[in-house]
Formats: sequence, structure tokens, C-alpha cells
Amino acid sequence: MQRILGTALAGLLAAMSAHAEEFTVGAELPLTGSLARVGAGMQEGIMVAAEVFNRTNGKHRMKIATVDDESSPAKAIAAVEKLASDGAVAITGGYGSNNIAPASDAANKLGLVYITSGGVDENLVTAGRKHFFRINNTAGYEKAALGLFADMKVKSVSIVHSTKDATSSLAQSVQKALAAKGVKVTSHAFDPAMTDFKPVINKIRLQDRPDAVFMVGYENDYVGILRAARVLKPQVKAMVGVWSLATPKMAAEFPDLMPNVYGTALLPFPAKFTSADGRAFADTYKALYKKEPDYLGQFGYVQSMLLFEAIARAADKGTIRKGGIAEELRRTDRETLIGRVQFGANGDNVNFSHRMGQHQGKNIVIVWPPQHATGKMAYPAVPW
Amino acid sequence: MLDLILQALYSGLLAGGSYALIALGLAVVFGTMRVINLAHGELVLLAAYAGYTVESRLGWSPVAAIPLAIAVVCLAAACVYGVVSRIRADREINSLIATFGIGVILTNTILLVWSADVRSTSSAWLQEAVVMGPLYGMRGELAFFGVSLALMGALWWWLAKSWYGRAVRAVASNRDAAQLMGIPPGRTELVSFLVAGVLAACAGVALYSVGVIQPALGAALTVKAFIITVLAGVGSIPGVLLGAVLLGVAEALTVTLASSALQELAGMGLFLLVLFVLPNGLFGASRRRG
Repeated sequence: MQRILGTALAGLLAAMSAHAEEFTVGAELPLTGSLARVGAGMQEGIMVAAEVFNRTNGKHRMKIATVDDESSPAKAIAAVEKLASDGAVAITGGYGSNNIAPASDAANKLGLVYITSGGVDENLVTAGRKHFFRINNTAGYEKAALGLFADMKVKSVSIVHSTKDATSSLAQSVQKALAAKGVKVTSHAFDPAMTDFKPVINKIRLQDRPDAVFMVGYENDYVGILRAARVLKPQVKAMVGVWSLATPKMAAEFPDLMPNVYGTALLPFPAKFTSADGRAFADTYKALYKKEPDYLGQFGYVQSMLLFEAIARAADKGTIRKGGIAEELRRTDRETLIGRVQFGANGDNVNFSHRMGQHQGKNIVIVWPPQHATGKMAYPAVPW
Repeated sequence: MLDLILQALYSGLLAGGSYALIALGLAVVFGTMRVINLAHGELVLLAAYAGYTVESRLGWSPVAAIPLAIAVVCLAAACVYGVVSRIRADREINSLIATFGIGVILTNTILLVWSADVRSTSSAWLQEAVVMGPLYGMRGELAFFGVSLALMGALWWWLAKSWYGRAVRAVASNRDAAQLMGIPPGRTELVSFLVAGVLAACAGVALYSVGVIQPALGAALTVKAFIITVLAGVGSIPGVLLGAVLLGVAEALTVTLASSALQELAGMGLFLLVLFVLPNGLFGASRRRG
């Protein structure tokens, strides 16, 4: 009798643990402050992921609780602690390595999974945070930039980069790799508060005389650099940048500055989504936000969807409170909108490799790698 | 190398002109009320977004937004004055806290209304390069510099010649004595806030016409304006121009001769050096003697 009761009880517990549940997932994001634009873009992707997951999963539901970290490291910690106290089972979001490092530390101490695509600083994955996961990294951006420069057969490059952690880290690794290939590299670090880039571009024009300028910064920096270059017209063959540059938004907002400029882009514009997941993302994004999806939304969507799926699997196994979410994420091996994702022991996506796009007319054409190219690169070509 | 230095001096001069225009409004309020308006940068930014709105919605040149910017910024400046004027005790310190709070509210209002996207003019005319020998500048920058000089002249004339200008100086010099002479201090202070609003409005539209704006920029503008105001010496209009140009040139030369990463450090170094040698600012001592 006791055995029957025990079996029945165990069965009941198992059935209860597999019941449909609603989980609160914390989104810690910079919705105000200097990173507000990128924070808002990532939040759109997170909300789209929740919408798609809740519609298609059929069992568990994800509820997003968002706290604005105001682009401040101290407030990022406070945001994670607030989300944990409000019952969040994991954190998605974060932007800027400076904010992500302390925020993910706080999550780590609380035993919460923290997943992001907003920071590429190597220190994020070398500091031993057991619950940290990232779907993009410097290596992936570096591969794309180096691949493009190799295809261009450049002999000299001037790097103009912001002194922030992520931008400095990427600029330094690209500089090192280019120098190792025998490319002459000069580097110009600039303070994030800098607005007039004419003295820097003048040095590039008169002293460096490179084949290409490589910009590592953010939208406002690119506009300042390109505007200064448009005035001084250095004799270069290409203007190349990284994130936030080859986007439909930049093409629409700055049509005079963007022609022929290169930047990282996973999809061409107009975007073509061939997978069911891609179409679900794009359709839901357009329905919710009445605009074309951008790369920030894609990254926010992928990181959050992987997290939601891990939460659901852990819930089914009854391991949510026993480190099951991190365990399920480590088991992840899935094709996504940004390519195949698998996490290494340090939580970094081992497969990440970016693509390079070029503004051509009102479109963005993928020009590297060759297997994903949607058009030929216009080279040499500059915006002026 | 000579070409590089000449361009740095020229870029620094043009940047200084824009810094001066941004700092003027703060200097006027600081000079008359001894109030550091920490929302000044946000007022400038508000005008910049007025420029963006007129350009993006109506397709007009941002310069056409100046009347709208003046109306919006003066209304906001009057509200700031409304808050500051109600502070009875420790006005210097409490006004800092109050205006900081107003700045935060304005930043978030801008964020809600215009979103966090970066904005900049699409006017080809304003962005066109003007080349003079080895010197390269943007047409908008030259216009910005010219407007800055004109407004400084107008402000100087207003303070020296007009009744209200002299009333502002009298209140700045001795509030109680000015009141005994029949000058209403409250109204005079409001006038100085509105004049600062007009200057901030022109500065904001000019800023949008040559640079890149985003909601978080206000705080950086306030800091820049504050450095120039203190560098100039409280209440000195020529000092604002000289301080701003010195700052612009120091920054541009640092970028050219050393590293662009040290630009902000150079500005702060200059600020500390001037204050160490001339604690009242560049024109503070002569003003006291006068």
C-alpha cells in the first residue's frame, strides 16, 4: 500500500512539475541615457520573442519584467537585484560591456542566468561567471572585418575607435590581426564625448594615407566621422564600420553619408527571411512595431528565444531552481537567425561569425562572406 | 605638419564659436542670479529637437525653426525660473539640485517625444565644405561661428545700453540696492532667464545644423558650458568667447599633436590650469577692478 501511495505521490509531483507555468523573465536594459537607442532596439526583440514563444509554445508562458538601467553600471546592478526580488528566473538584455560586467556579476551571485548580445568585451567571458551566456563576440566581428579587408586586398588601414571597453577591445584585436598579415595599421582612439572629427580625419588624410578607414564606435560617432570625411575627402578606397552602421535606419536618416559605407549586417535590406523562425520573427516584429526589423531586434530575439526554450525544458524536468536553465543553455545546439548557436564552457557562442553589408542605394547588400553574399561590393567607393 | 596645425587651430576656433554660443545663456543666468542652471544643456537640446522637427516634418531648413525654438525654450526657461525663484534658503545649492532634477525631466521628455535615435541635419547646404587654402570647414560651422559673434555683440549691447540690461547688471551687483532704486528684482531675473532662453534656442538650432544630437547629450552640453563660464570669469561676455575658443583650440591641438583620446582631458587640464593661475577666471579680476 505504502509503495502504491509513494508511486502515486511521485507521479503526482512529476505531473505538477510538468504543468504549464508562467515564468517571469527579467529584462535589464538601458532605456534612457547614452545607450537608450540600442537598449530600446534590443527590448523590441525581447518582446517579439516573448510574443512568438507564448503563441507557439502551447504550454509555458513567459512574462517580461523590464527595468531601465539608465546606461549606468551601478543602476544595472540595482536592476538585476530588483528583478531577482520580483521573482525573475533569469535575465535577458544588457547593453554595453561596462554595464553588463557588473550586472552579470550580480546575477551570478544570485544564481541567475544572464544572457546577452550587447557586450563583446572578452573580459565578460574570461571572468569565470558560471551563469553568463553570450551569443555574439569580438571574434565574430573581427572575422567579418578581416575577411572584408582580405577581399579588398588593402595594404594599409586607419582605425578610428571609441575608448569604451568593447570598441577598444575590437579595434585592438583587428589591429593585431591586420599587422600580423603585413597590413600597415594606424590607430586613433577617441573620447566618446568627441563631436568634431576633422582633426582626426585630417591626420588620416595627410599622414596615414590608408586604403581604408575602419570605424569602431556607435551611430553618433559614425555620423561625426563620415561628416568630417565628407568635408576633408581623404583619398581612401573604403569607409568600413561595425555595429549600428549598415542598418535601414542609418540609410533612411543619413542618405548623404551612407552610400558605399560598409558595416556588419546579418541580413540584407530589404530583409529576406527564409526560415519559419525568421518569418515568425519578422511578421511579429512588423505587427508590433510597424517597421522593418533591425539587427538589435534580431539579437534580442535570438538570445531571449534560446533562454525561453531553456526555461521551458528545465521546467519540464523540474530543475528550474536547481541550475537547470544554465544546464539547458549549455546543451543548446540550434540554428537561429544569427546562425548556429552553441555555448562553450565560458558561456560564449563558439560559432558566431558576422557578415559585412554595404549601403548601395537605398539597400543593404551582404558582401562578405562570399557564401552569404547577396551582391558584389562596390570598391573602391566612398560616400562623397 | 604645418597643415595639420593650421587645420587644428581653425577647427578649434570654429568649435570654440559653437561652445561660446552654448555657454552664453548659462553665463548670463550665472552672472545675474549666481544660479548654475544645470538644465541649460537640456534647454539647448530642446531647441535642437525643434530644429529637427521642423526639418523632418515640414522639409524646411532647420534655421526656420528658430522662432519655434525660442518660444519653446523661453517657456521652459520661464518654468525653470518659476522653480528657482521659489527657493528661499541656500539658493546656490538648492538651485543646483532643483535644476538637475528639471534636467532629468527634460531629458526623459525629449526621449519620450523624439525617441533615442541619433539625429542630424540632412541639409546639403549646411554640410557643404568651405575650403580656404589648407583650411577645411563646413558651411554650417562658419554660420554657427558668425551667429555666435553676432549674438555676443547683441548681448553686450543689451547689457550695456538697454534699461533692462543695466537693471540685470544692477541686480547682479547688489540685489537689495537695485530694489531700493526701483528695479523689480524678480522681473529682472525672469528677463535674464528669458534672454538665456533665446540664446539657448539659437545655440540648439545651430547645434543640430552642424552636429549629431541624442537625448543624453544635454548633460555634456551643460558641463561644457559650465567649464567655459567659470573659465571666462563670472559675468564676462568677452571672457566666454575667449574661454570657449581656448577650449576648442586646446582640444583640437591635443587631437592633432597627441591623441584624440586625450581631448576631454586637455579641456579639463586647461580649466584647472586657468583656475590655478587666475582663480576668478580669465576676466574675473579685471571685472572686479572695473
